[in-house]
Amino acid sequence: MNATDKSALFLSVIESHKGILYKVANSYCKDSEDRKDLIQEMMVQLWKSFESYTDQYKYSTWIYRIALNVAISFYRKENRRKEIANPLDDDILNVSDTTMPTEKEQNLAVLHQFIAELKELDKALMLLYLEEKSHKEIAEIIGISETNAATKIGKIKALLKQKFSSR
Amino acid sequence: MEETELINLWKSYDKKLEESLSLNRKNAEEITKMKVQSFLISMKPLKIFTLLVGIVWVGVGSVIVTNLFVSAFTEVSKFFLFSAVIQLVLTAIAIVVYVYQLILIHQVDSNESVVKTQEQLARLKSSTLWVTRVLFLQLPVWTTFYLSEGIFKNGNTLFYIVQGAVTFSFAYVAFWLFLHIRPENKDKKWFRLIFDGKEWTPVLKSMELLNQIEDYKTEISLP
Repeated sequence: MNATDKSALFLSVIESHKGILYKVANSYCKDSEDRKDLIQEMMVQLWKSFESYTDQYKYSTWIYRIALNVAISFYRKENRRKEIANPLDDDILNVSDTTMPTEKEQNLAVLHQFIAELKELDKALMLLYLEEKSHKEIAEIIGISETNAATKIGKIKALLKQKFSSR
Repeated sequence: MEETELINLWKSYDKKLEESLSLNRKNAEEITKMKVQSFLISMKPLKIFTLLVGIVWVGVGSVIVTNLFVSAFTEVSKFFLFSAVIQLVLTAIAIVVYVYQLILIHQVDSNESVVKTQEQLARLKSSTLWVTRVLFLQLPVWTTFYLSEGIFKNGNTLFYIVQGAVTFSFAYVAFWLFLHIRPENKDKKWFRLIFDGKEWTPVLKSMELLNQIEDYKTEISLP
């Protein structure tokens, strides 16, 4: 595959899975400038790993692994933008304003708040559960057994239920 | 809120994103053309400067001390020579280990599972503590390098007591810190005092993450 084809394929994969990058970045980074850096870093790591991607895993599994690893280890970075020769001034992902019915928005705000308060690994687990990933896929992405994944998700769901019922 | 309601809420968020999220293809394409810089350039300038000063210190110091050993061993104070050797060796070890850790961190594969990658990164980052432990070991030699056989010959009891107390205290503190600077003590007041400041946040965060990872690796049987 030549460089142009590889780039085109990569962009098409990112286009199809751009929601994953945004959702992970939004869960781990509330500051918009940091989120911009985080998404750019995710893209860089995805591009670096694209050469070695095999269809042993689905694209979504591969993207989740890298996106979550970058997001969780983002605290380590000192000069994040200096990692890249020419940091981009504009966003890679843009979100236009749309409105949702008010009660839904309120519930979503509570859900986002709950996710934001979780520890790093629990956050990853919660995101994958909400994305309706199977226990098998969650186990592959996180790197734990399916039983362990199921137990931990059960605990987090119980906490979430408490959060909603205490409102 | 029931499980199905929760999933449906997330699905509606997903739908909203699908309608409103767009990929800036031009910027995304720029990523595929970008060169990722080496780990050195990603470091803070002050850290690079400190590292360079350390390397120059060890380099120049080693040359001077070697020359003194070879050409002026009988004239130069043995206290100075051996204190300098200990200080230079400890600093060199710390620099080599620190740079090696940085290279390993830079090479960790984020393609692996989350627990495996984060464990590697967190262990590497928190092992920066080891570098600090080694550096503290040199404390006692800073109280002995200025001594000479002449000073001891002409010294009085008070001098011996004070010098002995100072060197002993520094040695005690150095070895105590070497033994106690460990992740298990990260919540102790003295630990927080030494490792205060933004530059230590990644190291402390790594240690917390390691606790999470250990918890995740422990299998809990379902009832």
